[in-house]
Amino acid sequence: MAATRVNRRVGRILAMAGKEVLHIRRDIRTLYLALAMPVLMLVLFGFGISFDVDHLELVVVDQDRTDLSRELVRQVTASQEFVVVQDGTSPDEALGALRRGAATGVFLINKGFAEDVKRGGAQVQLLVDGSDGNTATQALAKAQALVEMAGRNLGGPVRVTAPPLEARVRTLFNPDARSAMFLVPGLAAYLLAIVAVLITALTVAREWERGSMEQLFATPVGRLEIVVGKLLPYLGIGLLQVLLVLTVGAWVFDVPVRGSLLALGLGSFLFLVGMLGQGLLISVVTRNQVVATQVATITSVLPSMLLSGFIFPIENLPPPLKLISTLIPARYFVATLRGVLLRGNGLDVLWPQLVALALFAALVLAVATRRFQRRLD
Amino acid sequence: MSTCPDVDVAMEDVRRGFGATQALKGVSLAVHTGEVYGLVGPDGAGKTTAIRLMAGLLLPDAGRVKMLGEDPANTRSPVRESLGLVPQRNTLYGDLSVDENLHFFAQLFGLSRKDFTERREQLLDITRLSRFTDRRADALSGGMYKKLALACALLHRPRVLLLDEPTNGVDPVSRRELWELLYGLVHEGMTLLVSTPYMDEAARCHRVGLLYAGELIAEGDPRELARQHGAAASNFEAVFLALVEKRTGGRAA
Ligand SMILES: Nc1ncnc2c1ncn2[C@@H]1O[C@H](COP(=O)(O)OP(=O)(O)OP(=O)(O)O)[C@@H](O)[C@H]1O
Ligand SMILES: [Mg+2]
Repeated sequence: MAATRVNRRVGRILAMAGKEVLHIRRDIRTLYLALAMPVLMLVLFGFGISFDVDHLELVVVDQDRTDLSRELVRQVTASQEFVVVQDGTSPDEALGALRRGAATGVFLINKGFAEDVKRGGAQVQLLVDGSDGNTATQALAKAQALVEMAGRNLGGPVRVTAPPLEARVRTLFNPDARSAMFLVPGLAAYLLAIVAVLITALTVAREWERGSMEQLFATPVGRLEIVVGKLLPYLGIGLLQVLLVLTVGAWVFDVPVRGSLLALGLGSFLFLVGMLGQGLLISVVTRNQVVATQVATITSVLPSMLLSGFIFPIENLPPPLKLISTLIPARYFVATLRGVLLRGNGLDVLWPQLVALALFAALVLAVATRRFQRRLD
Repeated sequence: MSTCPDVDVAMEDVRRGFGATQALKGVSLAVHTGEVYGLVGPDGAGKTTAIRLMAGLLLPDAGRVKMLGEDPANTRSPVRESLGLVPQRNTLYGDLSVDENLHFFAQLFGLSRKDFTERREQLLDITRLSRFTDRRADALSGGMYKKLALACALLHRPRVLLLDEPTNGVDPVSRRELWELLYGLVHEGMTLLVSTPYMDEAARCHRVGLLYAGELIAEGDPRELARQHGAAASNFEAVFLALVEKRTGGRAA
């Protein structure tokens, strides 16, 4: 008797899940988007650096004004990697342009450059906007290579120095140049947050909006069965996305998986359950797809991007935002991922993060199920 | 009113409001086993509210609702296994086909594979949807859609069927077909409660309750009611108008 009851329960959950899969199949482009987005974003974020460097805007301050210095500038900007947006300005004006964001870098050639070259060793300076650490490092490396090559052509070694002083002026959130290594964990959290919260909020709100919730409530299906059944396919898609991001990360950007796979799996699962619960709560409260989207964006998608350590390191956040970030589960998930992927940590180190994730999941699910009554009012 | 064994649906002095709106202002009615009960009233009379209360989708502010002797809002009660509901709104899954909708609801009601195969055949036959099993629900005509909704609500052989304006948006021919189908079901012992704003449909019911502005202003055999008010049985509209006039006139005096 009890066994049949359990069987029926499972049957209804599978029915809900199967129906959701049909919805997904009818709208297959959304699924493609959900799976292509991680790869696309990873590639964009990961390679964004080299794209930018192609058109790095330079202000040239040539205080030497010799044939040799002009030749250096010509050679450095011959390729499309650097573009001169301003020339012949004073160093102060050039730094002003950098601060205003009118240029990404200042190329400074001091007086006496030509003589230094002839004497056997000259220096030029490149001041870069450090707010985008990746671009800054890449730019510096490129300039270094170009200047060295030009130096050989000009007949004497030339080195680029990059005094960090001015370059750091506009560094707000990102003092260290950060690589794809750091992006992969953050990106995984961000994408999961989108899929889990947004899609859950949308699909459950859709049942309210279209009235099918009324039909469901008139059948023996229980509310927990509705929730679990509807969310199962998205849990699957979410985990698939994590795998995809990790694979692309490892394959294209050499992001290793050093630490405990158990911690990785557990963290992903707990984070997903919490996000699904949050999506459910949003849809139960709003019962409207448009409103649900907005609330989901504000309460989870944006914080998962901005307050999780994905884009801005948490230690660099202003104190109020730092405090808010402790309530954002993505923060703990990003920390878990970074621990596992980059530092090779295991459960012994990461357990506090997992506990935080579990707490959030339990809390939000409890509130959501309380609010989700089998009633139409 | 005591709950006799043959009363399938009962409301006792039920009140229900939404904010400032009083949708039901103390309604009592009883639907007997095997009868066709018509809940008749104009837009906004409270028909949908009453049906939702009967299905346990809303809680009453006051009064009692019984479905097959149980509280329909009690999620633990097995009453849902014996209840069929076709809501007023189109609530099936438009992007799913006729067959997929049927299969989904069969799973929710826990039909065995064998039972479903048999039942599906039967229902497709009586609703004449056999040729459209692969069609998406939102591509069906209004009448076919209602028939599919009906088929989905009948899969588990409910004892009580609640239909909220089932003939809304259905052409006259399909409407007659639908009614014939419903009589067939009642003949097999099912209890049927239908809401409708159309007076001509009221005449098809064994008993009607006339709902006006949240109050049940009359209840009884439609022919009997017509006779009492000196109108032809076919002109049930006149009965309704007379009752409404008497009521509002009486209150003003
Ligand atoms: N969820 C709700 N929120 C607010 N008001 C509601 C709600 N449901 C019903 N009402 C109000 O209660 C009253 C009765 O509505 P109900 O839907 O029960 O009428 P109805 O007889 O089914 O009308 P119709 O023929 O238009 O379907 C109306 O004034 C309606 O606006
Ligand atoms: Mg209605």
